[in-house]
Amino acid sequence: MKYEITLPVLSDTMTTGRLARWLKRPGDKINKGEAIAEIESDKAIMEMEAFHSGYLAEPLAPTDTDIPVGQIIGYIVDEQEAATAQTHSETSPESSAEPETTKPEMAKPEATEPKIETPEAITTPAEPISTEQKSPSVSGVTSPEPKTIPPVHGKRIASPHARALALKLGVDLSHVPPGKDGRILAEDVLAVAHQAPTLNLEAGPPFRLEPLTLMQKAIANNMIATLSTPTFRTTAQISLEAIKQSAEQQQISLTLLLAIACAKTIKAHPQFNAVYTPEGMAYRDRVDVGIAVDVPGGLVTPVIRDVAERSMDELAEDWRTLKDKIKQQRLTQQEYEGATFYLSNLGVFPIVYSFDALVPLGAAAILAIGAEHNGRCSFTLSCDHRVVSGADSARFLTSLQEQLNAN
Amino acid sequence: MREEKNYWQALNLALDMAMAEDSSVFILGEDVGLYGGTYRVTEGLYAKYGEERVRDTPISENSFTGLGVGAAMVGMRPVVEIMTINFALLALDAIINMAAKIPFMSGGQYTIPLVVRMPGGVAKQLAAQHSQRLEHTLMNVPGLRIAVPSTPQDAYWQLRQAINSNDPIIFLEHELLYFTKGILDSSIEPLPIHRAQVRRKGKHLTIISYSRHVLLCLQAAEQLAKQGIDAEVIDLRSLKPIDWDTCAQSLQHTHRLLVVEEDCQFAGSGAEIVTHLTERCFFELDEAPIRVAGRDIPTPFNAQLEAASIPQVADIIAAAQRFRYPS
Repeated sequence: MKYEITLPVLSDTMTTGRLARWLKRPGDKINKGEAIAEIESDKAIMEMEAFHSGYLAEPLAPTDTDIPVGQIIGYIVDEQEAATAQTHSETSPESSAEPETTKPEMAKPEATEPKIETPEAITTPAEPISTEQKSPSVSGVTSPEPKTIPPVHGKRIASPHARALALKLGVDLSHVPPGKDGRILAEDVLAVAHQAPTLNLEAGPPFRLEPLTLMQKAIANNMIATLSTPTFRTTAQISLEAIKQSAEQQQISLTLLLAIACAKTIKAHPQFNAVYTPEGMAYRDRVDVGIAVDVPGGLVTPVIRDVAERSMDELAEDWRTLKDKIKQQRLTQQEYEGATFYLSNLGVFPIVYSFDALVPLGAAAILAIGAEHNGRCSFTLSCDHRVVSGADSARFLTSLQEQLNAN
Repeated sequence: MREEKNYWQALNLALDMAMAEDSSVFILGEDVGLYGGTYRVTEGLYAKYGEERVRDTPISENSFTGLGVGAAMVGMRPVVEIMTINFALLALDAIINMAAKIPFMSGGQYTIPLVVRMPGGVAKQLAAQHSQRLEHTLMNVPGLRIAVPSTPQDAYWQLRQAINSNDPIIFLEHELLYFTKGILDSSIEPLPIHRAQVRRKGKHLTIISYSRHVLLCLQAAEQLAKQGIDAEVIDLRSLKPIDWDTCAQSLQHTHRLLVVEEDCQFAGSGAEIVTHLTERCFFELDEAPIRVAGRDIPTPFNAQLEAASIPQVADIIAAAQRFRYPS
């Protein structure tokens, strides 16, 4: 038996991932459930477990290349001999001049000649492998399923509707990134049409392009997603004296105490725990606080759950664990998604007098805290005006001040 | 009148009403009289209207269909029942060479107000010679019209309209539809006989089908909806002519076309539908159209193989999942 190993979906937003490294070599014995590779998703590196026992078999997908989710990245076979023989049986019978044509849905094995990463190679990946649901028709006959559409000398495959829309909207198809199936459909054209006008880099000095990291892409997408939120900001000057003392006495992180103070304030102002949806206002019955954390190459927002109700010890332990995972790049999707309120603190930079933050999708507000000046810090609350109004924010900040002083 | 009826009861009622209203309407075919029709469609009519108007014929399809053509030429409104579409092969001379051509060859001196009813399709293990679909053959006959009702409501009204029409009309019934139920409301103003109908509104893809497979498409659409795919289902109701406007309007907002037919794919109705709509709506299409159709083989007798030879709900779902939808 030969089992396909496919790139797993590690988060809702993940469409491509990278193999950070293989933990096993071809021919190695593998037990079901054992970690065989590390996969880098939008934000985290996670271990991938084997779904079958057997031997890891070639060809294996290369590391550090964007691979669409669902694509085959390797195989598990029952017999050890088969594991190493795969390479030859897969590639040798066909003309070796064009290895892509022998196995179009397979990412090129690392072992072959040095790879030339043309833009097409990255943006026009092979057709994703069908999942169980998409199994070929069990009966009847269906029009032939188009196989992977290879890029024709860098030309892009665009649907008739996409072409018509591009013409109508004045979108240059060569500026439209195709979907992960390698084709440009109407939605891809519309995405470009709705974007800000593209830069003309040629007008400036010479430049080099570095591909976006997965984290950069995720941050860009998350930030663009906030653009349709009607936002206002309210700033207050609040003393941190009491809470700082408390943090020192109890040996507890100031950030955590701030998060707890926010969560308790939200309990008294539940509309700050709501989120707007076209179907209605969603009131959440638990305050989950997301905290912006500076990491090399971007930022992450680990979420502490149920901050208003749980004990200080539990919360402190959670926060320590999250910070450890961030250091090891092991934060999982469950740990950085779904906050109902956000906190961003630049107080560690004494030069920052005041700043404001963008309200992430899914929250009603985010609190941005600057450094201390004359005994007070500026607290800027950015709010979704569909959920709360100016006076609400003023009342919230007043309560928060009382909460902080009560420490 | 508004009540639940079987498909066969709706047809029976349509015949009864038409015969009551117009003495030129009469029925002929094998076992339509004393026996009441193989699928009960003419039940009770022999007793009510007598052997003059409900005529049992010998097993000679070409002869009694030709008799229908002749009667139509002299002003009668015959409704010929051919026991199954498979036997219509024997009557093709009367249908193709006479019924379809005489109005043209006589320069319009003769009209042919003839209805030829015939059940077809894959039923339950009737084997290759009794499971055919001949849409692709009949669609290629200029001068014929083809109605393909999928509900009791349509069965009633389209048969009434067919009998009233002065053109020869092939009335294709599906053997598995006779005992399906639906509301028959004779007070609802009927659509024109050849107008297609949107059975389910949707925004992501257009599924076009006809006859029994419309019901399968609606089941598939409900399951697709659970996966976030919102399918529009169009029941053609007529294969000749086809109501292209309704299909094109749908594609203008879905941009994806899936055609489902029980008949074989090669040169079939799906081929015509896809080609015509691609010509007409090329710049509306965001995906290459997909056809889901019967396999190009004589229908197997074995139940599992029989089921595998024609599209099932799972095939329709799998085909719809092949499209990429706007996220």
